[in-house]
Amino acid sequence: MTSPEVAVTGLGLVTAGGVGTAASWARVCDGASTAATDPDLAGLPVDFSCRVPDFDAPALLGRRKAWQYDRFVQLAIVAAREAVADSGLDPASWDGTRVGVVLGCGLGGVATWEEQHRRLLDRGPTHVSAMLIPMLVPNMVAGQLAIEFGATGPSFVTATACASGATAIGTARELLRNGTCDVIITGGSEAGVSPLIVTGFAQMGALSKRLHDPAAASRPFDRDRDGFVIGEGAGILVLERAEDARSRGARIHARLLGYGATADAHHATAPDPAGTAVERALSLALADAGVGPGDVDHVNAHGTSTPLNDAAEAKVLRRHLGDRPAVTSTKGVVGHTLGAAGAIEAAFTVLAVEHGVVPPTANVDSLDPVVEIDVVTKAPRTQPVDVAVSNSFGFGGQNSVLVFGSA
Amino acid sequence: MTTTYEKMADVLVEKFGVDRDELRPDVTFEDLEMDSLFLVEFVLTLQSELGLKIDEDAASPRDTLGAVAEILEAQIARAS
Repeated sequence: MTSPEVAVTGLGLVTAGGVGTAASWARVCDGASTAATDPDLAGLPVDFSCRVPDFDAPALLGRRKAWQYDRFVQLAIVAAREAVADSGLDPASWDGTRVGVVLGCGLGGVATWEEQHRRLLDRGPTHVSAMLIPMLVPNMVAGQLAIEFGATGPSFVTATACASGATAIGTARELLRNGTCDVIITGGSEAGVSPLIVTGFAQMGALSKRLHDPAAASRPFDRDRDGFVIGEGAGILVLERAEDARSRGARIHARLLGYGATADAHHATAPDPAGTAVERALSLALADAGVGPGDVDHVNAHGTSTPLNDAAEAKVLRRHLGDRPAVTSTKGVVGHTLGAAGAIEAAFTVLAVEHGVVPPTANVDSLDPVVEIDVVTKAPRTQPVDVAVSNSFGFGGQNSVLVFGSA
Repeated sequence: MTTTYEKMADVLVEKFGVDRDELRPDVTFEDLEMDSLFLVEFVLTLQSELGLKIDEDAASPRDTLGAVAEILEAQIARAS
């Protein structure tokens, strides 16, 4: 017996491109980077980021919820409300015991952590918030979404650093295929643009230092790339078995065809230059999807804009898929959102499949000669996208690859 | 209405997002759906706002706003 097919029936995005899927998709198709000088990072070695514009938490969530949630939960709730509404499912009438919540998150409530630690040092223990723990633990994003939607099936967070969102989606799919759940709210959320986290990434040399020109800093696969630009956001997908979605007449954005996960077991932060484990994740995901390397029309690359990642990833893509797929990295526009990135990029991949449009990679003025793949630059490319791959790789050498197909 | 009560009301509205129409001296924190964790946070905020050390058990969820305002006023009187 073959495993049931899984459909994406709901999408929700909150990115530096805007609040909402339409605004986020329009911005990545436009191809202009959102990176800008960030007042919260003034005086630090890197002082720019990709922030969600006009995110008014009290207006979006109500003041009572806004103060109780760290920003990573706020972003997730707004994206999840959009995704659930988009799916056409009604949380007021669904059987919550059959609904699961699986979210990726790499850090948790780091801004709350830093602020409360400052209070402890400056003013003493009696000034530390009683809400500190429920605000900072990373699993709270899944916990709060479960509360929001009355979802009482499995609820948890996956942490594979910058692959967390993709790991969540791949893991969540199993809960549908093995019959544990009928509906899954999955994706990822991260609000890691805090002084301590940004300094930490800067100190390890991972961030672009293009302080004089932030808008040109995130340039995946370009010859002059010098590191990633940190961002924040949330991407949420509603998944159901395709058969269930069809029988209720739901609109299917795309099908989630395959998932592959491997570990480099090579180095804490540097990718294995041979790319052996990355290639195996890709190959496992394609086999799981039942498609061959020659079927892949589009790749949403991990494409961080770091010298090492992009060279190693391009090499694997060339070796395994040739130069046929139209490759993009949407991190050029919305930055690297760490634990949310895999989910936000999965949503962009779904949209590419649905609309037959591949967004351009921002700031590619001169493709790195070692990048021997077809990188889409300058303008969106309209073409049929029947099979698409979304790559995500985390510190720790953790690789997650998702394959989506047209409905 | 005492200034302490008004201060409490302002904090509940501005920081905790309580609707001002819900606030009356005979309303309990429980009525406002504020559990013990919220109450700890509320007392912390009041400490900062009033510049006063407040006993952790100065308020419980079943207390009314009016009663807590009176307790705080007694503490302010003792401190001054």
